[in-house]
Amino acid sequence: MGQPGLNRRQMLAGLGGLTIAGSFGFAALGTGADALASGARTRVRYWNLFSGGDGYNMVSMLDAFREEHPDVAVKDSTLQWGNPFYTKLAMAAAGNRAPDLGVMHLGRVTGFSPGRLLDPWDVGLLAKYGVREADFNPELWRRAVIDGKLYALPLDIHVQLCFYRKDVLRKAGLLGSDGRMISPASADEWFAMLEEARAATKKGLQTIGLWLNDQNFQWWFFVAFYTQLGGTWFDEARTEVTFDTDKATQVLEFLRRHITDGYANPNFGGGAGAEQFINGSPFAWEGNWSVPVFDTAKVDYGATPLPPVFGRQATHAESHAFVLPHQSGRGGAANEGAHQLAAYIVKNARAWAGGGHIPAYTPILTTPGYRKLNPQSEYVSAMDHQATEPKVWFAGSTGILAQRIGPVIVSSTMGSAKPDAAARRMKSALTGLLAMKNPMDGKTAAQGGAVA
Amino acid sequence: MTTTSAETVIVPARARTATESATARRKQGFQHGGWFVAPFLALFALFVVWPLLRGLWLSFTDANISGEGASFVGLDNYREALQDDVMWEALGHSAYFTLLVVPCITVLAFLLAMLAHHIERGKWLWRLCFFAPFLLPSTVAANLWQWLFNPGTGMINHVFGIDTPWLTDKAYAMLAVVLTTLWWTVGFSFLLYLAALQGIPGHLYEAAKLDGANAWHRMVHITLPMLRNITGLVIALQILASLQVFDQAVVMQDFGPGPEGSTRTFVQYTLEEGFTSYRVGYASAISIIFFVIIAAVALARMWLLRNREEGGR
Amino acid sequence: MSGAAQIPVRPRRAWTPSQIVLTLLGTAVSVVFLSPLAWALFTSLKSETEAVAVPPRWLPREWTGQAWSAIFENGNITNWFVNSLVVSVCVTTVVLAVSALAGYGFARTEFRGKGALMGVVMAGLMVSPAVLGVPLFTTVQQMGMVDTYWGMILPQCAPAAMVYILYKFFQGIPRELEEAAFIDGAGRWRVFFTIVVPLARPSLAAVGIFTFIASWNNFLWPYMVTNNPDLMTMPNGIATVMNSYGIQWAQLMAGGLMAGLPLIVVFVFFQRQIVAGVAHTGLAGQ
Repeated sequence: MGQPGLNRRQMLAGLGGLTIAGSFGFAALGTGADALASGARTRVRYWNLFSGGDGYNMVSMLDAFREEHPDVAVKDSTLQWGNPFYTKLAMAAAGNRAPDLGVMHLGRVTGFSPGRLLDPWDVGLLAKYGVREADFNPELWRRAVIDGKLYALPLDIHVQLCFYRKDVLRKAGLLGSDGRMISPASADEWFAMLEEARAATKKGLQTIGLWLNDQNFQWWFFVAFYTQLGGTWFDEARTEVTFDTDKATQVLEFLRRHITDGYANPNFGGGAGAEQFINGSPFAWEGNWSVPVFDTAKVDYGATPLPPVFGRQATHAESHAFVLPHQSGRGGAANEGAHQLAAYIVKNARAWAGGGHIPAYTPILTTPGYRKLNPQSEYVSAMDHQATEPKVWFAGSTGILAQRIGPVIVSSTMGSAKPDAAARRMKSALTGLLAMKNPMDGKTAAQGGAVA
Repeated sequence: MTTTSAETVIVPARARTATESATARRKQGFQHGGWFVAPFLALFALFVVWPLLRGLWLSFTDANISGEGASFVGLDNYREALQDDVMWEALGHSAYFTLLVVPCITVLAFLLAMLAHHIERGKWLWRLCFFAPFLLPSTVAANLWQWLFNPGTGMINHVFGIDTPWLTDKAYAMLAVVLTTLWWTVGFSFLLYLAALQGIPGHLYEAAKLDGANAWHRMVHITLPMLRNITGLVIALQILASLQVFDQAVVMQDFGPGPEGSTRTFVQYTLEEGFTSYRVGYASAISIIFFVIIAAVALARMWLLRNREEGGR
Repeated sequence: MSGAAQIPVRPRRAWTPSQIVLTLLGTAVSVVFLSPLAWALFTSLKSETEAVAVPPRWLPREWTGQAWSAIFENGNITNWFVNSLVVSVCVTTVVLAVSALAGYGFARTEFRGKGALMGVVMAGLMVSPAVLGVPLFTTVQQMGMVDTYWGMILPQCAPAAMVYILYKFFQGIPRELEEAAFIDGAGRWRVFFTIVVPLARPSLAAVGIFTFIASWNNFLWPYMVTNNPDLMTMPNGIATVMNSYGIQWAQLMAGGLMAGLPLIVVFVFFQRQIVAGVAHTGLAGQ
């Protein structure tokens, strides 16, 4: 390289000095580059966990809001779905750096320490922006109220569905006269359908994708089928586990059989199931959020609630809701902006329904535009037989319950544990959880830990 | 050979008679050095000592993430930890990872260093190639390999014409993390070996050659013994770093615990308990347990070093 | 450095058979090492649909910069880049200043409790955010520094290892130099800055380089202490925010290269110093 000239050296030193000075200046200022660039308008920081199609729908709704309300600057951030999101949200609230608005699964609200990590909604302010209790399913609203205060503003209901390819099922003779999948009345009927569908499937594709090694999906499917069997979790007082290991074994054997009979390939156990479905695999059990994915891929498909193989309808359901993460100085323009934004999105959730979700704001459901949506209209009935997790502090999407039990279900589905042994392990895990104290208030589920 | 070592600094011998006052001044110059260490000690006290003590205190409480309302629970957390299967499994995963990574990295780093050392042309190029992955952030390396291991669209199965469920099967998931780690971090140990190889005095080899030793003998009788110290260092550093594995494992499994929890490492479990389950007290207790394990490994190494009489330093 | 000096004349050796074999072997291994990076680069130049095509192809059928322009338009990447720079520069500066002073203080000066303090610092080698992350977070939380630059920077600024390395180095400097200066009447601080620091420049460079690399690539602590995507550093943002959009591999690879390339480019230019730095700091643990 040769001897660097003095000038170059001086220049480098000067540049270095500037960088160092600049860095310390920045650090002292303490805000990100983005906040500096943004003007003095009301700034609403909004965190969500919506990826894929949901992400695009949310962004387009935000853009519509921005257009109508140029005085409110919305800074939206999408974080990794599931526990990473809840971890970040909780840590930000605990560190008093929470965003102005957040999204959560309704089932997680009780365990998220309302009052400590969450602030209640100002119902009057919501009404000012046009959102009232009367516009919601009363049951849904009730779940969002804790200690008489509203801690979550429901946005939707979302369910687990059985997606099917009409082209393949037609060939296999599994479509009814209405062009929809015929509904199996028992597990044997269901596997007979799979057998026929397999014969009509292209070589190299699996018959059904059901997230074999995903602890969340397996848990959701389990909840659905266990509910179909009429299984329960705990008694009313939350002091005793009423989990029925025989019923659980039945469900676990049912899930496992998809692999042992060769309908599901463990190599496509995760998100690859959707890719297989797009390529011609006849079935995929997915959340309703896959609707836009399959729409975009121009697949000829339909979607029904998970098949009632144990005699009665029930499919797993959860709900997205807006929350106000705890800020010690909550109030002012940013807080009002958060109310305004949340109200706007809840009321304009028609676009959200495009993502497959059932809007929580009931006036939308009766609009002609919503009724025309397909396959949404095919599975809207799922609303009426929801299978939900037990209402305890450790439940809710990707909550402690799912974390403890999900892996046990996966181990059975994947074949590394026998179904009956797994069912017993589930029961002992439930017993352990019931005795566990909610870390946020030191109470067990029986002591009413954070449950209103 | 790496930097100007202190020995090469030539000291201008000043002929000066040390008067009494000069001696005093000289001594004074080295007195009251507290101010030199004060800034470091302040930071060290705040961010190392205090968290350690705080963690110890929290481990006896049921503290939660909100930072309020903790009460003393004695040894409950430790009692729970000893019976916590998930914790032991996580410890097992970290140990398994360490067991696989450490020997592989050590051998591979040595071989790469030998290769780079003996090729006469383009030394800088080999160094660059083998070391470049280490310059990537862990998360980038992990994302990259997650992509390479991806079923269907991934390059690895495609290139080798296999159909291995790297990321979705518990038999392979940790192996995938290990392979990623090898690629990503072997460059560091490689550099250490390379530096050590270059530091072996050439005359040793010349003398051996004169005695008629062939290449194999020279390696067994000169190179390997001369590298003993550095090998000890590489192994020790790798053990300590590998036990603390976290980044690659979580990123490759999208922040989950991997198939059937098979890539959940100890560090990951402490963070899950602390930040996902909000049980700061319990997380502190298992952190302290982990600290004791790490400290034991470090102390064992020091003890080994002290007990070994021979060795360059 | 002295490696070149040891052999004053280095004749170009002939291509002996063993050299040919070794070079071929080296080339093969290098290809294996670099191919993941090449794969990342090519993926980043594909469209998102082509990136997930089955079976995968090495080269894009259609070369496109859409992934690169997308990550720049999105804006997050540039924010994170600035954040990474701010954090790494501050950490490196503070670490250099603080550990040079402390290394010298422990090596040369006398004060009460020095031995005990040195022992405590050595014990500190065993503490890292990986080991005591949760208590460290609660400490920083108490100080109100969650989601701030200082919260990211300061806990990275107490590396006992760097103090130890410089301590070893300062111990190796002959005392006579400083003594002579003292006798000449120079103050302690002047001796430190005009005699000791210039002598220690190679060691300081090593510590600085190593610290910068470690800080630029640090994931765990920034991951714990920042939740606000505006304040995230590159490794953290890429892992926790970019991943959240699902399978956008072309963009993810472009972002990853953005995070990794600066150090690799710097490495190409300052290879000698960096190799010396890493080897020196590593070897000092002996």
